Amino acid sequence: MASGSRDPVVQTRNLRKEYGSVVAVDDVSLDIAPEEIFGLLGPNGAGKTTIVEMLQGLRTPTGGDATVLGLDLQENLYEIKDRIGVVPQSFHTFDRMTVRENVSLIRNLHSGGLAVDEVLGELALTEYADTPFHALSGGYQRRTGIAMALVSDPEILFLDEPTTGLDPAARRSTWEQIAGLPGMGTTVVLTTHDMEEVEYLADRVALLVDGQVEAIDTVAGLIDTYAGEVKIVVHLTEASTNTDVDTLESTLQAATERTYRSESDELVGVFADRQRAQDTYSDLHETGTGHSIDLVSPGMEDVFLELSGKTLTPGGELR
Amino acid sequence: MRRLTTLARVLLVDWLRNREAVFFALIFPLLLLVIFSSVFAGGPTEFGLGVQNNDVDADGEPTALSEAFVTTLEDAPPLGVGQIDPDTSLSKEDSIEEVTGYNRVLVIPDGFDQRVRAASARVRMEIIEDSIDQFGGEIPQQQRQEIENALGGFEETGTDSGSVGIVLLTVPDDEGAGAVESILESVVARFNDRSVGIEEPPVVVSAKQRGAANFGAADYFLPAFIVAMILINGVMTVPSAVAEFKRDGTLKRLAASPLRKSEWILANVVQQSILAVAITGVMILVAWVLFGVTAVPGPFALGLILLGAVAFTSLGMTVGGIVQDPGSAISLGGAIALPLMFVSGIFWELDLMPPTLQTVAELSPVTHFHRSLRQLLIVDSTSGVAPTAALLAILSVLFTFGAVLTTSWQDF
Repeated sequence: MASGSRDPVVQTRNLRKEYGSVVAVDDVSLDIAPEEIFGLLGPNGAGKTTIVEMLQGLRTPTGGDATVLGLDLQENLYEIKDRIGVVPQSFHTFDRMTVRENVSLIRNLHSGGLAVDEVLGELALTEYADTPFHALSGGYQRRTGIAMALVSDPEILFLDEPTTGLDPAARRSTWEQIAGLPGMGTTVVLTTHDMEEVEYLADRVALLVDGQVEAIDTVAGLIDTYAGEVKIVVHLTEASTNTDVDTLESTLQAATERTYRSESDELVGVFADRQRAQDTYSDLHETGTGHSIDLVSPGMEDVFLELSGKTLTPGGELR
Repeated sequence: MRRLTTLARVLLVDWLRNREAVFFALIFPLLLLVIFSSVFAGGPTEFGLGVQNNDVDADGEPTALSEAFVTTLEDAPPLGVGQIDPDTSLSKEDSIEEVTGYNRVLVIPDGFDQRVRAASARVRMEIIEDSIDQFGGEIPQQQRQEIENALGGFEETGTDSGSVGIVLLTVPDDEGAGAVESILESVVARFNDRSVGIEEPPVVVSAKQRGAANFGAADYFLPAFIVAMILINGVMTVPSAVAEFKRDGTLKRLAASPLRKSEWILANVVQQSILAVAITGVMILVAWVLFGVTAVPGPFALGLILLGAVAFTSLGMTVGGIVQDPGSAISLGGAIALPLMFVSGIFWELDLMPPTLQTVAELSPVTHFHRSLRQLLIVDSTSGVAPTAALLAILSVLFTFGAVLTTSWQDF
């Protein structure tokens, strides 16, 4: 469980990884606090997995320093491995062994841990305890991976793309499991390209592009800093009369100087102040024109667009 | 130690649930053992031989010596002799198999009896003449004259005939022709000895077994297939499994735990050693039930089996560390294991191989492993076992070192 101290449980300074002439991780410095969910967000190939695999002792850094749980990564590798839990991106385990046998294996490879059946119960795996791993659905395989990571009662849990390939229900269920972990004293390092996942789970986020950290902050902090503007979008139609459009446009322009008409025939107003945007949203409805009006809050997607100049596809590619 | 035993147990259970691995490591060698033992332990092989005796008298009855010759053939155990009517045509145009029902026929010519007697008399006469020439001075003059007169009588009756030719006719694809020809030569030699009066040849060969008696083919094949099983499991199955664990991410997951690389290698070695002993037990049990095999491995044999399992599993771990996918593992493992197996006298005796290959075989550790296991299981002797054990121990250390070098525990 957590060390009790508020010192960072993971600290990297100028961590670097090169593959020949390719720099996969470029001088990354991070501090991850105990019992937080820390997200590493970025497109495929941004260096997220390389960073966590260096922290797990699965890759050797080319340069820089890293400590995990206050221990030097190079000198205390096996003590660190004993105190962390890992769910790799392409997680797999012994196919022909049951869920319980696989979880027991990891429990016995660590020096301490939780009761296997207790962990299976918490992750709703009891029903599948005697099912061979290969016979499980993708969601339950992923859940087995989390059980294998949690059974050693780790102080830090590394989750690499934990919900990739899961259906929406399994995804939501996995998020709920992860969200509860800091309450049990576990720090979570979450690697993902899923904006929604980061917004739902992460306390703080490091945004990675091309092996470099572009920004680190809380989700709200990043949005405020890099995408803090709220938009009001009025959807015009063929039935919209000139009178209606003039009324709506003048209401918007009275509230903000930044208005424009989009290519898809929308009236858009941009607000720096969220409260003013909400008041204007109410005023627009009171005009009684009957148009569809949206109040659009910014998200991590806007942050990412602001910082990288590109959008991130659901598959994790930059566009 | 707990990590090592836990992982070894998991690997063992995982292996036992792998139908392919169980088939190739256990069922396949067992099938080979049963087939080989059945083929070579099914009683003496009998070669069918049709005999056409053309040496008959006016009543159509065989002459005394030709009949005696046929009886001698019938008494030769590997031959299943059948009579063919002298009137049956065996001309070049005829297929002897269609005409006689046999794919090989021995033809005894007309006049066989008479010519054998003549040849026999000539040989005896020559012996007497040689004796007179050598010891003539010691024989009284009158007696010598009487002998010479008698010999002169023999010469007048025509004792100077040549050899008697019997002909073996075979079909072109008769694979047993060579063996039958050798048997006939031996039968003819014995018949010739008797025809000149040598009832008890001065030199005879007899075969005797040393060590425990009553061993059958299964006993001889058992050590061979135990060695083959250990070799195939170690050098082909292990690298394939390791490569699969590497490919699907299982190895990476294990490496992220506190498990050490050395423990991973040792766990595989322990698993294969347990399997080697267990499968040996199963093979012996099956061989005992089906063939009444009595060769039970003692402590030395078990020790040698364990050493072999360690040596070849660590070689397999070395190979598994090099390759990236199961297909390559099977190919590379096969390229090592199969030549070793075929050159090491597992399936056939080394004496049957060309001298160059015999030299190569002597360089193969599998040859020595197989030879020593045979020595322990069949001859019940420890002769030559110690150097083999030392060789396997050295290889175990070398290959384990190789496995440590080739196995990646980081940067997968």
